[in-house]
Amino acid sequence: MGAAGGYLRSVAMFRLQGSKVLAVEMTGDAVKAKNGSMVAYDGQMAFKKLSGGGEGIRGMVTRRITGEQMTVMEVRGQGTCWFADRASEINLVGLQGDKLYVESSNLLATDAGLRTGTTFTGLRGASQGNGLFTTTVEGHGQAAITSDGPAVVLRVSPQFPLSVDPGAYIAHQGNLRQSFQSGVTFRTLMGEGGGEAFQIRFEGDGLVYVQPSERNTIAGDV
Amino acid sequence: MSQYAGAGPTVHDPMTLPSDDNINNYTFCVELKGSQWFLQKGKMIAYYGSIDFNGIGHGRLDRLVRTSFHSPLHASDWVVAEGSGKMLLADRAFDVNSYDLEDGNLTIRSGNLLAFQPTLALKQSIVPGFLTLIGTGKFVAASNGPVVFMEPPIRVDPQALVGWADCPSPCHHYDHGYMTGLMGGLRAMTGLGGASGEEHQFEFVGAGTVLLQSSETLMAEQATGAVPHQAGVPGSGVPSTGPSPQSGVPRLPGQLGDLQRRFGL
Repeated sequence: MGAAGGYLRSVAMFRLQGSKVLAVEMTGDAVKAKNGSMVAYDGQMAFKKLSGGGEGIRGMVTRRITGEQMTVMEVRGQGTCWFADRASEINLVGLQGDKLYVESSNLLATDAGLRTGTTFTGLRGASQGNGLFTTTVEGHGQAAITSDGPAVVLRVSPQFPLSVDPGAYIAHQGNLRQSFQSGVTFRTLMGEGGGEAFQIRFEGDGLVYVQPSERNTIAGDV
Repeated sequence: MSQYAGAGPTVHDPMTLPSDDNINNYTFCVELKGSQWFLQKGKMIAYYGSIDFNGIGHGRLDRLVRTSFHSPLHASDWVVAEGSGKMLLADRAFDVNSYDLEDGNLTIRSGNLLAFQPTLALKQSIVPGFLTLIGTGKFVAASNGPVVFMEPPIRVDPQALVGWADCPSPCHHYDHGYMTGLMGGLRAMTGLGGASGEEHQFEFVGAGTVLLQSSETLMAEQATGAVPHQAGVPGSGVPSTGPSPQSGVPRLPGQLGDLQRRFGL
């Protein structure tokens, strides 16, 4: 590790190899990745399990309480390390000081320099069947998120708000307000619903990632 | 804007999204300009603009439903999207594609149909589990792997069949020789000696096009509604042991798709 001292600020380079494998080139620096997601590496790598997401005692307790548990490992070394998760599609996200909100189950790897945390999402989280909390990633660097099928990235701007099916939502970044839309009416109860009874509406300025597949949600059948 | 630039994928906004075309192999974008589309429930993943989703039973839609929806008991699976904006359709990360029909007809496995324009009329096929679209317009269908188009005469694997256009209904074809005689009987009873799993096909003849998917993973069957209980209506009385075996349930080697029963073995 001392050999890497020459690099004042070395940043791991994320790149996709195909669409389902993430290759990270490291020169003595580190990335945080989902436990067990390493499929291959060359060079010298050290894998260290980070209890409770590597956010210290407080983060660990928060994650326990909120159910946003991540088992994360820190990978440090020299060379290339490849990551993959159940052949799901991988999407790279570049963060320049903004905040990425993503479900912990969809977060594959982040630059070690990025801060991760937990945040309250309210009804939106509940509608996704993922609980009331979500994971945040903040700072400067790259992160990799997984999706079922390649994610479509949609820009939200003040004049173009966006509505998203909770089951297809995977992540968003930027300065967005989200509200929960419910179209549940008398008709829904009669079994004549519009089929898209719950939506998350995003307003503001930022990006939303959706996947071409829907998780099973309580909203799915309404 | 450069704020988000980097190694990330293409960013779409309402201007750059295609109109009635694919965004990628798995996501399709429909543009609504005050128009309507029929949509299977739960296939919309996101939309820009103002779009209403109403169940088929919605009173205002009566006229539309009367002209383009002829599967009354199937109605609870479908909604009408109405308004202006762009909406994204996708289904379980399967391949989606749009197809144009010009004064034609096409029969498709009910689970594969995602959406269609009301200029088409949707009818329940007399082949159980299939729906027929008649008229002129565009529809969106999903398949596991890209769709290939074939011309009859052709025999196809039941699980790979997505649909067919313009040609008469398929019939069953069995490799009879394989199943008869002493050895065939033994094979059928025990599964020893190898069942290739391809003893049964759908056979198409006549002029038309057959649509196949490049895998044998079936979409979940959508209920197509019950047919009237009448003599002569396929699937009306008996529990359906129809042409498509229970999706996804692997056959035991000795059963050969219940062929032995059909051959009296």
